[in-house]
Amino acid sequence: MATTLQFALPSIAGRRRRPDSRSINRPVRCAADRQALFNRIAPVYDNLNDLFSLGRHRVWKRMTVSWSGVKEGDTVLDVCCGSGDLAFLLSEKVGITGKLRFEGVIAMKFDQTDSYLTEALCLELVEFWQDLRVIALDFSREQLQIAASRQSERSKACYKNIEWIEGDAVELPFSKSSFDAATIGYGLRNIVDRRKAMEEMYKVLKPGSKVSILDFNKSTSSLNSSIQDWMIDYIVVPIASGYGLANEYHYLKNSIKEYLTGNELEKLAGEVGFSEAKFYEIGAGFMGNLVATR
Amino acid sequence: MVRRSGVLLKKVAAGISSRLAEILVCPLTKQPLRMCDKTNSLISDSIGVSYPIVDGIPRLVPSDGIILHSDQDLNSSDPPQTNSS
Repeated sequence: MATTLQFALPSIAGRRRRPDSRSINRPVRCAADRQALFNRIAPVYDNLNDLFSLGRHRVWKRMTVSWSGVKEGDTVLDVCCGSGDLAFLLSEKVGITGKLRFEGVIAMKFDQTDSYLTEALCLELVEFWQDLRVIALDFSREQLQIAASRQSERSKACYKNIEWIEGDAVELPFSKSSFDAATIGYGLRNIVDRRKAMEEMYKVLKPGSKVSILDFNKSTSSLNSSIQDWMIDYIVVPIASGYGLANEYHYLKNSIKEYLTGNELEKLAGEVGFSEAKFYEIGAGFMGNLVATR
Repeated sequence: MVRRSGVLLKKVAAGISSRLAEILVCPLTKQPLRMCDKTNSLISDSIGVSYPIVDGIPRLVPSDGIILHSDQDLNSSDPPQTNSS
């Protein structure tokens, strides 16, 4: 799920939630807690991403898609799809194809006067089979509903080739070696059992295919870490408090601290079985993208 | 002259595409799923669990699975779909 969590926006309906002092420092540990968190922020998630990254998250996501190696005609997977940003970008790359099956009768007629052969076709469309191209999975029902709404509002035909699945990144419901490429945007950091998620990704990718994983960078630079902490403490959380979502964005800071560094991510990918793994720092070092090859 | 078969197009749109049904497996057993048009769900015959499809979105989180308690539940669904491609 694209859990940028750069900003906490108040609830869209304007309702204010009184901060629960008992839970301010309660860690968002288990998967159920995180699922509930992303359900709560779903209505404001997209706007927050734009606001807090000043639109830059769109650039980073395009880079992620590019690194995945996706090309026209591929079947691709986006895990932790959230409201669908990466899925829409992937669908533009893979395009849309389909098959039509007709049954019917061809009647032929000769026009003897002019010696022309004329023919009449009477065909009935009996099946439309649209090739599967983009599968997008998330465990937040609310995020998926928003993604599906965005899909129906968009006019480009390629967006119709996205299928949304409610599922768990650590128990992927896909056959082995199904996908030509995969992406995860701001999702791996929020998965409790990251090794299991990487193992699942490995299994569902075809040999030689890549997974491209975008997230906050747990920097080894103390300056970068300090700036990240400051931005969360003095920009993100105060704004979030106004919307009653302070706790949700406290989670962001802790989740970055508990995440893996670039080197650790490369090591994990290698341990799981990926033949190559390379981590790229982007966004002035505040973001990072792991590219792992099956 | 081409006529569209409205009934068939509607059938494809009601649940999920047959192509998607082929690629999906039970998240727990990784065994193929069977599409059940009657209940609009995906059946994992190996463990007797049904995963619902709501608004065209399959719910395949393991906890979304509904245990089918009886042979009647299992048999009330459609017979296995064959690949029509």
